Amino acid sequence: MNRTAAELRAEAEAALTGVPALMLSAERLAAAATPGAHGKRRAGTGEDFWQYRPAAPGDTARSIDWRRSARSDAQFVRDREAEVAQSAVIWVSGAAGMDFSGAATRPRKADRANLLALALALALLGSGERVALAGQPPRTGRLQAERMGQALVARTRLDVDEDMPPAEALRPGQRVILFDDFLGDPAPALAYLQRAAGLGVQGAMLQVLDPDEQGFPYSGAVLFRSGSGVLRHDTRDAAGLREAYLARLAERREMLSRAALQAGWHFGTHDTAVPPAQALMWLWSVLEG
Amino acid sequence: MLILGPIGFLTPWLLAALATLPVLWLILRAMPPSPRLLRFPGTRLLLGLKDPRPVARHTPWWLLLLRVLAIAALILAFAGPIWKPAPEQAGQGPVLIVMDAGWAAAPDWSQRQARALRALERAASAGQPAALLVADGQAEGAVPFQPASELAARLRAQQPVAWETRYPQDLTEALSQVPGSASVLWLSDGLDHPGRTALLSALRDRATVTVVPPQGPRLALELVEGEQPALRMHSDTDGPAPGVLAIGVDPQGTPRQLARLEPEAAEAGTSGVISRLVPIALPSELRNRVSRFEIEGQGSAGTVVLADDSLRRRKVALVGDDRANEGQRLLSPLHYLRRALAPRTDLIEGGLGDVLQASADVIVLVDQIAPAETGALQEWVDKGGLLIRFSGPRMAASERLGDEALLPVRLRSGGRDVGGALSWGDPRGVAPFPPEGPFAGLAIPPDATVRAQLLAEPSPDLASRTLAQLTDGTPLITRATLGQGQVVLFHTTANAEWSNLALSGLFVRMLDRLVQTARASAQAPEPEMDGEMFWTPTQVLDGFGRAGDPQDLVPVPAAEFARGPGPGAPAGLYRSGERAAALNAGGPFARASWPGARIEAASEAPGRDLRGWLIAFAALVFALDALGSAWLARGGLAPRDRKGAGA
Repeated sequence: MNRTAAELRAEAEAALTGVPALMLSAERLAAAATPGAHGKRRAGTGEDFWQYRPAAPGDTARSIDWRRSARSDAQFVRDREAEVAQSAVIWVSGAAGMDFSGAATRPRKADRANLLALALALALLGSGERVALAGQPPRTGRLQAERMGQALVARTRLDVDEDMPPAEALRPGQRVILFDDFLGDPAPALAYLQRAAGLGVQGAMLQVLDPDEQGFPYSGAVLFRSGSGVLRHDTRDAAGLREAYLARLAERREMLSRAALQAGWHFGTHDTAVPPAQALMWLWSVLEG
Repeated sequence: MLILGPIGFLTPWLLAALATLPVLWLILRAMPPSPRLLRFPGTRLLLGLKDPRPVARHTPWWLLLLRVLAIAALILAFAGPIWKPAPEQAGQGPVLIVMDAGWAAAPDWSQRQARALRALERAASAGQPAALLVADGQAEGAVPFQPASELAARLRAQQPVAWETRYPQDLTEALSQVPGSASVLWLSDGLDHPGRTALLSALRDRATVTVVPPQGPRLALELVEGEQPALRMHSDTDGPAPGVLAIGVDPQGTPRQLARLEPEAAEAGTSGVISRLVPIALPSELRNRVSRFEIEGQGSAGTVVLADDSLRRRKVALVGDDRANEGQRLLSPLHYLRRALAPRTDLIEGGLGDVLQASADVIVLVDQIAPAETGALQEWVDKGGLLIRFSGPRMAASERLGDEALLPVRLRSGGRDVGGALSWGDPRGVAPFPPEGPFAGLAIPPDATVRAQLLAEPSPDLASRTLAQLTDGTPLITRATLGQGQVVLFHTTANAEWSNLALSGLFVRMLDRLVQTARASAQAPEPEMDGEMFWTPTQVLDGFGRAGDPQDLVPVPAAEFARGPGPGAPAGLYRSGERAAALNAGGPFARASWPGARIEAASEAPGRDLRGWLIAFAALVFALDALGSAWLARGGLAPRDRKGAGA
C-alpha cells in the first residue's frame, strides 16, 4: 500500500465534491426513526406502534391491549412494526489482480476501488446511514469513515486470483456494494448473488477495470501470468488473441449483468482512466432507486 | 592452396561450410524473438485460446543478415585466407633449398625458416624430394635429396651461426646429386660472400634459381683501431641509422645499457654500402666497464662488438729504482706514478726485461739511463709502444746524456736549476698548454712550479716536439714518434724533488691523457710461440648475437684465430694467458647481385594473412547483432511505456 489512510480519506472527500448527499429511498428514511433501523412495514417485533387489530384465536390474553378494547366491545391486539437493523456493507476485493495498472499514469485498480468505496461510505455516513466494511460491525458517524479508511489501507493483498465476501455474513436488510474486477472464477460471485437474493439482500457490483484489460493492446510473444501467477497463458501472437479476449470479456459482463438482474442487484463497470465521480454518481443513483 | 583472384586459401575445404549458410538462414529465421513476461489479471479469459497465426514473428532481415555475415566471416577466416599469396614454385621437380646461415641471416631468420618450410610443404604435397644446403661452412659432402617431409625437422632446428655465410668448397661434389629437373630456392642474406658467384653459376647450370632476398636492411658493426678506438657501422640502406648501445655492468654489478652512441654522418662506400663512424665518446671509467657494443634493434652476431683488451684498460709498466725503504716511500718517484696510474690502468712493475715480455701498452721509465735492453725497447716502441720517461738526478749526472737513445730531443747534460738556494731566479710555473696538443684544456694550478729540469739542445723541431713548456719557454714535456710508437719525456722528476708538479692533480690528468694516446694492444703475440699458442673461448656468440657459454669448444690455434670467425671459432671472447681478445663477426661487406636468377619480390613472398581481420570483423558484427537484439527486445522503433506493468 503506497498511501496512508489520511491521503485516501482526503481523496475520497475530494471525489465527493458536488455529489448530493446520498439518500436511501425517502420512505425507508421516514420509517427509520432511529438511524440505521428500517421499518419493515409489517407487524412484527419492534418498538414502534404498527396497528390495532382484532384479536384472533391464538392471541394470548397478555397480548390484548385492554385500553383500546375498553372503548369497544371487541378485543384488540396492539401490533408493533417489525424492525430490522438496516446497514450498508462495502466490500473491496483483495485479489492479487487488483494491483494491476497498465500505465504509470493510471492508478492501480485497488486504489481506485478503495477510493470509490470510501467516498461511498462518506456519502452514506453523511446521510446518517450505518456503514461498515464486510465483516465489521456497522456504525455511524464520521469516525467510522476514519476506521474504514484505515482498514482499507492497512489491508494486505491476498495472493489469490479470486476473493469474495463471506456469504455467511449476509444479513437481511443489508445493502451490499461489491468492488472487484470480476475477472477471476465467476462461480463464487454467482453463488454469492444467489444467496443474497435468497436473503432479500440487495446491492450493487462495480467492475473496476484498467483500459489495458478492456482494450488488450498487446502484440508479439507474451507470457501472460495472472495476478497471483497461478494461471498462465503463453502466446506468440498476442495481437491475434485480441478479438477472442474481448469477446470473452463481453460474455463475462453479460453473464454477471444477467445474474445481478435476476437477484435484484445492479451491475456496473468502471474504467480507471475516467474520473471516479462518474462511478460514484452511478452507485448513488442505483442505491437511491 | 586454392587461389581465387587475389586471395588464396590455405585450407579451402573449410569453404564447404559456406553451403550451410542457407540452412542457417532458415533456422535463424524461425527463431522467435524472446517473449516478454506480463502480469495480466485477465489471464483467465485467455485460457485455452489458440494462437490464430501460430507462425512466430520473424527475426528482422537485417539482424539475420548480420548473423549470417558474421558466420560467413568466421568460416572464411578459418579457411586461412591470404591476400596475394606467394606464387607457386616455378618447377614442380625436386627442390633444393639453399639457406645462407651466417650472421647476416639472423635478423629475419624465422621468416626465412617459414619461407623454406613453405617450400618444403609444397614439395611434400607434390611428392617431390627436397634437399637443404645450409651455407654455414659446416656441411660436407654431397647434399642428399630426401623426402621433403623429413627435412622439416632439420630445418626447424637450424640456427644461424656467428660467422659469415660460407658456401661449400667443392661444388662439384656438393651438387653431385642435384637432378636436372630441380628448382633451387636460395634464401639469401643479401650480402656477397666468397664463392657465391661460383655457386650461383653452378646452380644455374643445373636448375632454375629463385632468390629470396632478405627483408630489412643489413647492418654490421666493427671496431676501428686507431688512436681513439671507434666503431664503424656498415649498412646497405641509407635510412636513418640506429644507435649503438654500449652494454656492460654498472657499479652494482648488474649488466645494463651504459650509454647510447650516435653514429656520425654517412660515408658512401662501394656498391651502395654505407658506412658510418661511431666514436666511442665515453669517459674512460665508463668505457672500461663496457663489455659489448651492439646496434640497437638488430639481433645478429655481426652487429655486436665485444670489448677486449683493445678497448680495455691499458697495461702500464713501471720501471725504475724502487729501493726506497719504508721511511723513504714519499721520496720514490714510482710512488707518485703508482698513485696516479693505478685507478685507470693495470700496472705491472719489474725490470725492463720482464716488462717487455708482458706486452705492456705503456712503459714508464723513471730516471734511467742507457738500460741494457735498449735494443728490445726500441723494437717495442717501433711496433707501437708508448714509452714515457722521467728525468731525475741520475740522468742529470750522466756523462753520456747527449748520446742517450730513445729520447724525443737531445738533452744538454747537467740540467738547470732555478729557484734553488744557489740560483737567482724563482721557480717557474707551467705555461698554458697549446690547444692542439694532448693536454689541451687542462687547468694548470697556479702553485705548480718547477725548480729543476733537463734542458733540450736547441733544434729546429724542438717546438713541434714540445707538448708543454714552462713560463720561460723551456720545454717541460716533449714527445717524438718512433716507428709506430712514441717516446715522451718529462723534463722533470716524477717525485717532488725537482718540482711539485707530481703533487698536483694536473700530474694525474696529464698521465691519463698520455696513456690514452697509447695504441691499443701495441704488440702482437710473440711470433715464436705461434705453433703452440691457443686461444681458449670464454664466451661465444650465437648467430643472433646472444652471448653463451662455449660448451665444449676446443681452443683455437692462433693461426686460425687470426683468420677471423669461422666454424671452429665462432665470434666471441677468447683468452690466451693474460691476454683477452674478441673475435667479432661484423665487418665491411658488399651487396650480392643475382645475374640470371629470378628474384622473388619481397611483397609477394608471404602474402598478407587476412584471418585476424576476418575474425575481428566477425566479432564486430556479433557485437552489432547483440546491440540490435537488445534494441528489438526493448521494443524496436516504438517503445511503449510499460513502467509499472506487472508487479
